[in-house]
Amino acid sequence: MTTQTLKRPKASRTGTSPRSQGNRKQARRTTLIGWTFILPNFLGFLAFTLIPVFAAFALAFMEWNSFSTPEWIGLRNFQEMFGSETFWIALMNTVGYTIGHVPLTLGLALLLAMLLNRKLKGIGFFRVAIFFPYITSLVAVAVVWNMLFNPTTGPINQLLEAIGIANPPGWTSSSDWAMPAVIITSVWRDMGYYMILFLAGLQAIPNELYEAAEVDGANAWQRFWNVTVPGLRPTTFFVLVMLTVSSFKVFDLIVVMTDGGPGRSTTVLSQLIYQEGITEGNFGYSSAISLVLFLIVLTVTVVQFKLQQRKER
Amino acid sequence: MTNVTEDLKTEASLAPALPLERQGSGRRRSRSRKEITSRRVNLLCYGLLAVLVAGLMVPFIWMVSSSLKLNNQVFTVPIQWIPEEFIWSNYTEIWSRIPMMGYIQNTLYLAVIITFLQVLTGSLAAYGFSKVRFPGRDALFLGYIATIAVPWQAYMVPQYIMMQNLGLTNTFWSLILLQAFGAFGVFLMRQYYMTIPDELCEAARIDGLSEYGIWARVILPLSKPALASLALLTFVNTWNDYMGPFIYLTSNRLWTVQLGLRSFVGQFDAEYAMIMTGSVISVIPILIIFLLGQRYFIQGIATSGMKG
Amino acid sequence: MKRNVLAAAAVAATAVLALTGCGGAAGPAEGGGGEDGKTPLTVSVWNYEGTPEFKALFDAYEEENPDIDIQHIDILADDYAEKVTTMLAGGDTTDVLTMKSPMEYARYASRGQLQDVSDVVGQLDTENTANLDAYEVDGKYFAAPYRQDFWLLYYNKDLFDAAGVEYPENLTWDEYAEAAKSLASGEGGNKVYGAYHHYWRSVVQAIASAQTGGDLIGGEYDFLADQYQTVVDLQKEGAALDWATAMSQQTGYRTMFETQQAAMVPMGTWYIAPLVAAQEAGEVDFNWGLAPMPQISDGEDITTFGSPTGFAVNKNAEHSEEAKAFLAWAAGDGGAAAIAEIGVVPALQTDTVTEAYFQLEGLPADDLSKEAFTPEETKLEMPISDVTSDIDAILAEEHELIMVGEKTIEQGIADMTKRVQGEVLN
Repeated sequence: MTTQTLKRPKASRTGTSPRSQGNRKQARRTTLIGWTFILPNFLGFLAFTLIPVFAAFALAFMEWNSFSTPEWIGLRNFQEMFGSETFWIALMNTVGYTIGHVPLTLGLALLLAMLLNRKLKGIGFFRVAIFFPYITSLVAVAVVWNMLFNPTTGPINQLLEAIGIANPPGWTSSSDWAMPAVIITSVWRDMGYYMILFLAGLQAIPNELYEAAEVDGANAWQRFWNVTVPGLRPTTFFVLVMLTVSSFKVFDLIVVMTDGGPGRSTTVLSQLIYQEGITEGNFGYSSAISLVLFLIVLTVTVVQFKLQQRKER
Repeated sequence: MTNVTEDLKTEASLAPALPLERQGSGRRRSRSRKEITSRRVNLLCYGLLAVLVAGLMVPFIWMVSSSLKLNNQVFTVPIQWIPEEFIWSNYTEIWSRIPMMGYIQNTLYLAVIITFLQVLTGSLAAYGFSKVRFPGRDALFLGYIATIAVPWQAYMVPQYIMMQNLGLTNTFWSLILLQAFGAFGVFLMRQYYMTIPDELCEAARIDGLSEYGIWARVILPLSKPALASLALLTFVNTWNDYMGPFIYLTSNRLWTVQLGLRSFVGQFDAEYAMIMTGSVISVIPILIIFLLGQRYFIQGIATSGMKG
Repeated sequence: MKRNVLAAAAVAATAVLALTGCGGAAGPAEGGGGEDGKTPLTVSVWNYEGTPEFKALFDAYEEENPDIDIQHIDILADDYAEKVTTMLAGGDTTDVLTMKSPMEYARYASRGQLQDVSDVVGQLDTENTANLDAYEVDGKYFAAPYRQDFWLLYYNKDLFDAAGVEYPENLTWDEYAEAAKSLASGEGGNKVYGAYHHYWRSVVQAIASAQTGGDLIGGEYDFLADQYQTVVDLQKEGAALDWATAMSQQTGYRTMFETQQAAMVPMGTWYIAPLVAAQEAGEVDFNWGLAPMPQISDGEDITTFGSPTGFAVNKNAEHSEEAKAFLAWAAGDGGAAAIAEIGVVPALQTDTVTEAYFQLEGLPADDLSKEAFTPEETKLEMPISDVTSDIDAILAEEHELIMVGEKTIEQGIADMTKRVQGEVLN
C-alpha cells in the first residue's frame, strides 16, 4: 500500500545532521537552539501560568481565605474532600460527562471535517454554519435547548412519542437524563470547534496519497483507513487530549444550562472549585480539589501520550 | 522564498519516501466513473449539510429574533419565534446605551495582539518541540501541556495577586501577558509540524539554512492551514472571553464587548433583548475573520506549497 | 527576507502595544486623584448605569458635602461578589464596599475584611431601620443598611376583573390558591396562569419560615410542608407555570407579569421601580396593583420577609473617616430621601419616607397598595451565620428535586433535615 510513504526513516528524526552525531559540542548547540525556539513562549508561560499554578497547588495543603495568612494544615483538606459526598458526586458526574462527550465530539468533528474538506460550491457558508454553535451566545444555547428538551411541550419528546416511545425521558428536569441532555448540547456546540482543527490536519495529507491509493484499487473505506487515519494521527492526538482536558474542566455550559441541577445530578468539579474557592473563600479546599482533578487528567494524558508514541513508531 | 523551495523540491524528490512527482499519473483513466460518483457524493453532502445547518442555526435564530423584541417579550412560554412587533430600534439604541464602539475597539485590540503573539510564539516553540532534538524535550513538553489540565478557577486568585503586585491589573497588559503564551498554540502547532516530513528540514540544513531559516522559510509557509486555525480559534476565544476581562479590567474605559453586554444584567433582572442585540453584533467580526481564514482549508494547499 | 518581514511585523506590533498600552477606547479617562482639592471616596457598585440608586445617592451626598468626590468602581452585577473577593485578595484599597447580599456580608465580616462600624450604626434610628439584625455579628456591626427589599404580591387588575375574581385583599394561602385556579385560562400560546412562582427557593422556603417562625438554619424542616403543598398543587393543576419550564427557560418574572401571562406574582419590592418605568415607556398597558403577601390564616398581622442592602468600609480603606461619614448619611434620612424619590425602598422606614415614596409618578394609588407597602413584620430572608451558605446550597438542591417532582414533599423535607444535620451541623 502507498501508506508506506508516510513512514520515515528513523535516523532523520534527529535534528542534528548525521555527520555530526555524537559530537557533544554540536549536541549542546542543538539544545541551545531548541531552547531559543521555546523560550519566548515558555518565559511568558512560566511567569504567568506555571508559577500561579504551583502557588495554587501549595494552597491545597493550607487553610486560606484570601485575606488571612495561609496556615499549613497538611492533608486535612484532602481528608475533608474524600469524606464529602458532594465531591464524589461531582467527580462521577465529571467522569460521566467526559466519557459521553469525548468520543461523540471526536467522531462527529472528524465526520464533519471529512464532509467539508472538498471543493463544493458554498463550502465557506457550510463551514461557518457548523462553527456557529460555538459563537452563539451561551444564554441563547441554553434557552433554546432547554425548550427543545422540555419534557411535555418540547419537540424532542413529541417526536419520541410520535415514533411510539411511551415514556420519553424528562431530560433537564430529571436527575437521570439531565447529564445526557447536557452532553448532547455540548457535543452540538463543540463539534464545529474541533472540526476546524481536523480541517487543518487534513490539509497536511498530500492529495497524491489518495490518488495513489485509488490507483491501487483502494475503496473509500480503505482510503480513509489507510491514508486519512494515519495522516491525521498527530491531529487526532491533539484533539483527543484537548477534548479530554476540556471535558474534565467543563464549566460554562453547565452553569447556564442546569446550574448543576436538578439536585446535584449535573454538578461537576470545576463548579465545586469555583464555589468553594472564589465564592466561599475556602481557597485551600478548592485547591485540593483542583489538585486531584489535575492528577486525574494528567494520568489520562500521559496514557494517551504513551499510546500515541507507540503508534508513531 | 521561491528559490529555496525550488531547491527543496529537487532535493526532497530525491528522497524516495515522498511521492511528490506522482501527481497526475493514472488520473485520467477513471475520470468519467469518478465524476459520476463524485457528483452523487456531492449531492448527498449537500442534503446532509442542509439538514445539519438548519439544526445548528436554531439557537442563533432565537438570538436574532429576541434581539428584535421588547425586553419583556423575550422569555415567553412557549417560544415566540417571530416577534409580534419588530423592534428595530434595539439596533440603533445599543450604540448609545453603552459605548459599544469603544468596547469593540478594545476587544479587537486585545484579540489581535493576543492572537498575533500566540501564533508567533506558539509556532516558534512548536518548532523547538518537534524539529530540534535535545535531551529532556519530551518531558518538558508533557509538563507543558499538563498545565492545560488545571482549571483556571483554581489559580485565578494567585494569578491576580501576582498581577496586582506587578501593578498590571486594570491594564490590557495583564490580559495580554496571561493569554498570549498559552500552551494551546504550542501543542497545536507541534502536532501539525509532526506531519511535515523531517526530510524537508534535513534537505534545508544541507543547503546551509539555519534552524531559524528553516522555520521561517520552509515550515511556516507549509503550515498555513494550522496557522489559520490557531489564529481563528485564539481570536474567537479572546473575543468571547468573559471571566478574564471581568476580573482584570475594572475601569469601564477598558471593557470588552462581553463585559459591555453583561452590564445589561442587573441585581434581580436583565435586559435580554439588548443582550441578544449586542450578541448578534459581536458575531459579525468573528464571521469576517472566519471567512478570511477558512480559505486556507482547501485540500492540496500543503502539497502545492511543497512544490513551490 | 521573510524573516525581516516577520521581524518588522513583530516590532510594529510591539510598538503599537507600547503606544496604546493602557489606553482603552470606551469612554473618558478616569482621574486618579480627586478633582481640585476634593477628597476622593471610592465605592464599589454593581451595574452603575442600570442601578439608578447609586447615582442618586452619590449626587445627593456630593451636593451636601462639596469637599468629597465620590468615584464609583463599576462591577458587573453577575459575579459581583467574586470580583470583590478577588480584588480584596490582591489588597485593594477601595473605601466603601457595597454589600449585595447578607450572605456575602457574612463572609467578608467573618474574614476580617471589613471595619467595625458599630458606632455608626449606634447613631442610626435603629427603631425604624428594617433588618438591621442581618448585620449583627457577635454584637458588632460591620455594615449599615441603606436599602431594603421585602416581598409582596403583584397582581394584574384587568385579569382579575375579566375573571370576576375579587382583588387579593388580605388573602390566606388557601384563598390565594383558589383565586389562582379561577384566574387560569387558555391553552398553549394563549395560556394565562393564575400565579407565577419564580424558581428561587425563597419563594417557598423564606415565606414559610417567616410566617411559621421556622428556622432555616436549624436543621428541622417540617414547617415547609404546607407551603410546598400549596405551590406544588398549583403547578400540578396548571394554575402556575411548572418549575422545570420556569427554571430551564429562565422565564423572567417580568415577562410573565408584563405580557399578562400570570395574574399574580409574589416578588420583592425591587420590581416596583422597573415596572413603573416599563409602564411609562408604554411596554405595560394594563392596570396593576400591590397587595400584601397572603398569610397562613385570617386576621393575622401581615408577615413577610426581606433582606437589606448596605455599605461597609474596607479594612484597607484609604479614607476610613470619610467612608464612615458616608455610611451614616446613606443609612439615615439623607440617603432614604434620595432613593425613595426614584422608587427604591430605603431601609429607614418612617411615615415621611413612605409618603415620599408614594409621590412617585405611576405608582398605584389605591389603599391596598399602600397597605401592602407597610407590612407589620418583615423577617430576615435567612439567618446569617457561618453555616448559612452551606445550608443554602443543600436547601436549593432539595428544593429543585421537590419542584421537578422527583421527590415527594415528605421525602424532600426528610432529606433536607438529614443532609443539613449530617453534612453541616454535625
